[in-house]
Amino acid sequence: MYIAGVDIGNSTTEVCIGQITLENKVVFLSSTSCPTTGTKGTISNTHAIKSALKEAMSNIGKDVSDLDLIRINEAAPVIGDTAMETLTETIITDSSMIGHNPSTPAGFGQAVGEVLLIQDVSRATPGKPYILAVSKEFPYEAVAQIINRIAGAINIVGVILQADEAVLVENRLQKKIPIVDEVARMAKLPAGVTAAIEVAVPGQTIRMLSNPYGIATLLKLNAEETRIITPIAKSLIGKRSAVVLKTPGGNVQENVLPAGEIHLKAEYGGNVNIDDGAEKIMEAVNKAGTIHDIYGQEGTNIGNMFKNIRGSMKEVDGTDTQVHITDILAVDTMAPVLIAGALAGETCLEKAVGVAAMVKTQQLPMQKIAQKLEQDLNVKVVVAGVEAIMASLGALTTPGTKLPLAIVDMGGGSTDAALITENGDIATTHKAGAGELVSMLIQTELGLRDRHVAEQIKKYPLAKVESLFHMRMENGQITFVEDSIDPRFFGRVVLLTENGLVRIEEDIPMDKIVQVRREVKQKVFITNAIRALQEVAPQHNLKAIPNVVLVGGSAEDFEIPEMLMEEFAKHMIVCGRGNIRGSEGPRNAVATGLVLSYRK
Amino acid sequence: MIVSRPSIYIYVNHPDGDTLREVHSGIEEEGVFYEVIERGEDNVNRLAYDAANDSMLGSGIGILGNTVAFQIRGVEYGKNVEQYENPTKNQSRIIGANSARAIKKQSFK
Repeated sequence: MYIAGVDIGNSTTEVCIGQITLENKVVFLSSTSCPTTGTKGTISNTHAIKSALKEAMSNIGKDVSDLDLIRINEAAPVIGDTAMETLTETIITDSSMIGHNPSTPAGFGQAVGEVLLIQDVSRATPGKPYILAVSKEFPYEAVAQIINRIAGAINIVGVILQADEAVLVENRLQKKIPIVDEVARMAKLPAGVTAAIEVAVPGQTIRMLSNPYGIATLLKLNAEETRIITPIAKSLIGKRSAVVLKTPGGNVQENVLPAGEIHLKAEYGGNVNIDDGAEKIMEAVNKAGTIHDIYGQEGTNIGNMFKNIRGSMKEVDGTDTQVHITDILAVDTMAPVLIAGALAGETCLEKAVGVAAMVKTQQLPMQKIAQKLEQDLNVKVVVAGVEAIMASLGALTTPGTKLPLAIVDMGGGSTDAALITENGDIATTHKAGAGELVSMLIQTELGLRDRHVAEQIKKYPLAKVESLFHMRMENGQITFVEDSIDPRFFGRVVLLTENGLVRIEEDIPMDKIVQVRREVKQKVFITNAIRALQEVAPQHNLKAIPNVVLVGGSAEDFEIPEMLMEEFAKHMIVCGRGNIRGSEGPRNAVATGLVLSYRK
Repeated sequence: MIVSRPSIYIYVNHPDGDTLREVHSGIEEEGVFYEVIERGEDNVNRLAYDAANDSMLGSGIGILGNTVAFQIRGVEYGKNVEQYENPTKNQSRIIGANSARAIKKQSFK
């Protein structure tokens, strides 16, 4: 008889086809996976199930109607969600600064003068120092000509250009002065205010304008004004050119937002202030014991954040019952945020906290899915077995495993763990935070516009295309190619996906992306794997677990299993990526378990 | 001893004035040297291919009338890295800048 195991996950639906022989043995014939349709646990899941079954059966030359039994999992009734909130913000009103890295500024040094628009040169006062502001309508020859012509009468000490023509202008000047170019929002530059401009010596970064006292020296500020402009200096660190304007009414603030407190309603509950950072929050969560609910202080950022999470989870749940958040994972992060009042798209790194939360819902309506499936396919469908137990059974088919065995199932929404002892006792747990939180943190820290790009960065290794014939991988290895690489990739950081190269649009160095990606994965998965295993371990002692098998989508990752292996080696635990049935890798554990459990 | 400056070669045949001007402005803004050389060749692929192979830097541009092509040494003949018929000023500027950025190992604009 033919029998199918179906595992409906948050992101993928997996199918495994087995045959029960006359000697009552299980022979595995085929397995497939396809993206889950709709939210896990809803009727719309049946579309994905049907197409996966069809594919798996056609692989062995059979039809879905040849199946005798379909077994679907009793999905874990947890839903996860993520949110992010910045805790500080920098506001610069009246456009007080420009600081950016145009690829080709010209000249070097610093200069102070009054901003003079190029169309107003005839009205300038002789002898007074001026910074010339030029919009892109003026071609470089004309600009150079004007500056050379008035050089004797009017003292031009620096130039701000809208077009990318700094070198072209400078090459035609008789007297060399610093020039900053590619300043996009020229129209916001007010004429008549005092400006300080600096271009760094090649190979260095600016020194005066990234130093509060440097700005104070150039713009003649008093102690109070110097204190106010400190955030400007901070956000100019590392730039090759910058402009700071002294606007009389201008004001700079670095606000610390009222972050608020998290209230834990638990066995050993309490309040934690978000300002204390993720470490303190997690400490409180770990000490709390059984958590009944978690909420944020009303009227604060964290309060709104929890409200949003609750709102979106209620939608998924589709019931009117009170949603209780039973676990959170908080992670400290830095987010580059566009500064209010910037002229060339400047950003400032703000402190932020990312939170993944998890709610226990009512039992998901798996029975309804089973009925619908039975109707559509005319094959007997049963809901069989709890997800964690099925996953453990499947994981046991990994060569080299034995009881007692722990599994860590790293999915998209939650990190789950289960422990089976020799006499069949099973302990399970679900922890908030997994793949989706990693994607969100990568997106935030790198300031990516698109979540999809963050997801790809999470999944694939990087390379830099150094010429049209070779690229340098993130591990330093160099690969040469026979045919020239598409010029669109030249000089770019790319992702090595199975469908070829994918270009990263944002101009971020490869090392920085690698560092952020690895840090984020460690912050989420190592923390969570330990948290989850501690909960299922006898007496909460990690050392009592001899074997850990990693399963689920995130176990397929190219570096997460290694990170966990290194971490667990410290606790003398054998830990590795599962290889279900010796052939499937970490996928298909639950579907395999569902087929296997039929025999019992 | 005759020493030539390492420069990008621009091989031209009756080039459009604006196109040529924008192309070398693009190279100059990136801070690389260039040389403009007149050739009696009516194939833009050949102009660009030869320019790239003759240039010490391995980067060349061919301009035939109002067609401009950018080529890098080692890339197959006829498979130009970038090419425009009747380019706008901005496109000419960018193709010039890219021929220089190729040498500097910076991403194209």
